Amino acid sequence: MTIALWQILLLTLYAGYQILDDLGIWSSLAQPVWAGLISGLIMGDVGAGLLIGGSMQLTVLGVGTFGGASKIDANSGTVLATAFSVGLGMEPEQALAAIAVPVASLMIQMDILGRFCNTFFAHRIDAKVEEMDYRGIERNYLMGSMSWFLSRALPVFLALTFGGEVVDKIVTVLNGDLKWLGDGLSVAGAVLPAVGFAILLRYLPVKKHFAYLILGFVVTALLTTVFGNVQLIGGNMAGLVEGFTGNFISLPMLAIALIGFAIALLQYKRSGADLTTTGSSVVREEVLGNNVVTKQEEGEILEDEL
Amino acid sequence: MSYKLEKKDFKQINRRSLIAFQFGWNYERMQGSGYLYTILPQLRKMYGDGTKELKEMMKMHTQVFNTSNFVNTLVTGIDLAIEEKEGVRGKETVQGLKVGLMGPFAAIGDSIFGSLLPTILGALAANMAIEGNPLGCILWLAASIGVMVLRWKMLELSYREGVTLVTTMQHKLSALTDAATLLGVFMVGALIATMINVKVSWAPQIGDLTINVQNNLDMILPRLFPAMIVGVVYWMLGKKNMTSTIAIFIVLVVSVALSALGVISK
Repeated sequence: MTIALWQILLLTLYAGYQILDDLGIWSSLAQPVWAGLISGLIMGDVGAGLLIGGSMQLTVLGVGTFGGASKIDANSGTVLATAFSVGLGMEPEQALAAIAVPVASLMIQMDILGRFCNTFFAHRIDAKVEEMDYRGIERNYLMGSMSWFLSRALPVFLALTFGGEVVDKIVTVLNGDLKWLGDGLSVAGAVLPAVGFAILLRYLPVKKHFAYLILGFVVTALLTTVFGNVQLIGGNMAGLVEGFTGNFISLPMLAIALIGFAIALLQYKRSGADLTTTGSSVVREEVLGNNVVTKQEEGEILEDEL
Repeated sequence: MSYKLEKKDFKQINRRSLIAFQFGWNYERMQGSGYLYTILPQLRKMYGDGTKELKEMMKMHTQVFNTSNFVNTLVTGIDLAIEEKEGVRGKETVQGLKVGLMGPFAAIGDSIFGSLLPTILGALAANMAIEGNPLGCILWLAASIGVMVLRWKMLELSYREGVTLVTTMQHKLSALTDAATLLGVFMVGALIATMINVKVSWAPQIGDLTINVQNNLDMILPRLFPAMIVGVVYWMLGKKNMTSTIAIFIVLVVSVALSALGVISK
């Protein structure tokens, strides 16, 4: 199986679009999970796309772009890894470590180039301001989107068009002579999210909230083990006992997130109260849409009733 | 100044800001030309086409500007409120305000919308995606639309509230940021326990006794090994000259090596 021309074109268009989305409207379509989903749909294997996109999302979880610094381009990496993984039959986790990560970090250079090229348009705008040419200002400004678009679309297009043979050879070697490397890359794919979490912890106030880090970890670690073992027993029972139809699900992550959300909510109320408690009324400010509404909550304070 | 901004002006600025505010990002002026682009039609109405006041203000607005893409219209709103009243006399106030506000707003906007939100939503979406479930992506899209609505409302809010906004929102935001970072830290803990699926396969033999290292680790605490990996990478990132990209490559190489030696496996 190879990658068809229409698939290459669609993936190229998406690769160009996603950076404009990320810079502007921020609809989340520019996130690696979405990149995986979309390229998975284009390539006809949503499962592989989601696996690569999801893993890549975790790898760059803490990598933000601040003050115009370039970050590794997880999206283009995801697009290429998914395309080659599905198109040439490469194990998704291998594709993640062997293609997605290296491509993502190489693409930093393209990001820098894109930002650099826009300096040219900024100078043209200066000239148009001098001439009071309003249409010219707007035209030159919007042309800047082209350098962004091409900075992602062009490399993805070239890689998909000419990279197939190279990747094909890599796949053969990884499953043959260099099996240890192939397996190692799969393991690396499983370890990579650890980097994302560590980067994130560097950014978040870990020292202040360390108790919650332990709480989140231990609650989840214990529940994962319990849920996993129950699932295992259920699976084995179903194999042994005829007519056994217990439905054992895996640990729902949303439930864990809700526990975290509840704790966060308590913290929010607490720190909000600290600032504004005055006598027997709690003043609470709420941002309701476009308005700052100051709410006075009259009546008893809960502590008084006890 | 004679011109008063109307609903359709806010709509136009919001449309331009939401879609194209950073299309012109470059190393020299950053978002400078983007700032001019978003309010150019309104400047023309306020100062009139072809006047020297307009040229003066246009030149001022192309100067270096850089803030969070999510809250940039807060600055724009305050700026327009002043320009509408003072006109070209407010030039220095506006310039000072732009430079003064872009830093703090960048910090607030980027940490809430650029980091915390993608962390929490990304963790959920990635977790579901790895199990083959695209629902998390849809959830993220829905949340993003909420963010867009918020961004759309900001301009008029800051235009009306003007300068007082900067001071009143501060308390609110710090409480919100505190709660949100707590959730972020909690979620990272949860994710470490589920998303790093690697085991110790090393089983040393002492005499005729084989020690199953992974079993022993599990007895101490399930998922201890992934937590240790995160700990090591966290420590590594604190070293000088260490960037996230280098860290990713070190982890890649070490993982492959340890896997080849049979120490760790999936």
